[in-house]
Amino acid sequence: MDPIALQAGYDLLGDGRPETLWLGIGTLLMLIGTFYFIARGWGVTDKEAREYYAITILVPGIASAAYLSMFFGIGLTTVEVAGMAEPLEIYYARYADWLFTTPLLLLDLALLAKVDRVTIGTLIGVDALMIVTGLIGALSHTPLARYTWWLFSTIAFLFVLYYLLTSLRSAAKQRSAEVQSTFNTLTALVAVLWTAYPILWIVGTEGAGVVGLGIETLAFMVLDVTAKVGFGFVLLRSRAILGDTEAPEPSAGADAQAAD
Amino acid sequence: MTNTTTEQPAELRTRSVVGLGVCVATALVGIFLIPTLQEPSGGLNVRFWTMAALELLAMGGVVYFVLNLHEEPS
Repeated sequence: MDPIALQAGYDLLGDGRPETLWLGIGTLLMLIGTFYFIARGWGVTDKEAREYYAITILVPGIASAAYLSMFFGIGLTTVEVAGMAEPLEIYYARYADWLFTTPLLLLDLALLAKVDRVTIGTLIGVDALMIVTGLIGALSHTPLARYTWWLFSTIAFLFVLYYLLTSLRSAAKQRSAEVQSTFNTLTALVAVLWTAYPILWIVGTEGAGVVGLGIETLAFMVLDVTAKVGFGFVLLRSRAILGDTEAPEPSAGADAQAAD
Repeated sequence: MTNTTTEQPAELRTRSVVGLGVCVATALVGIFLIPTLQEPSGGLNVRFWTMAALELLAMGGVVYFVLNLHEEPS
């Protein structure tokens, strides 16, 4: 493969990291998403809508900080891996970002489905396990250990997916058509996008190394922005976040209330 | 008294709002401060796990404070 293509990007800081282009774009897009959600949610008085806004603003907000740290090289480290000629560069701030944000995205879905707190705790716990084991994999020094932790993390992800598609979906079915529709859209978004992460990890620099750091960083950036800002955009545009969505017929005033 | 309902905006719980602010600050410390600290011994992993613990703590706090964002009606 063409090594130039594998190092796609542009070295914005002049420190030999072409992927800074994607990290800079990621920072900007996350910031735009954060400020858009803040502006949209300003003055919202609906109790339930406020909860969704609080969560959904924090997700790209913290992600933008993580991207900024990676942009400036703070969230970057090297790990010696057996059999590799050079130390592996790891953007570990990703894991800090994912540890904070992925449970909050699931909390949004859990609030939509109105599941009990035990289910919320279990879902978030398994999700955290998924990220932490991914982090252990990223820090491991032998390929066997790295792939084993990747497998562990992927199994945890499958449990998260199972929870979403069974417990949460059946709970969401008890709610209004608006909530069900939004829940199904967001669950499909999460299922598709989140499935791409372990695939990208295994083919990327932290796994088999088929894809170079530039392309990998670009792909993670696109996935992150879509999974966070895109998710928030779909959620906050929906009437499902309003506390009165159990009403059988949509009313024209509801949107105005959300925008109050 | 008529049956007309005039919805009052839900009362925010100050403690939860402050708690959310603290959680955000904690998450930011995890991202920016911990990796810049010099490690006298133990190497990378201690800093890493401190960062992960801070992020988990911040996330757990956000979950708790969001679920308790409003005053319960008396």
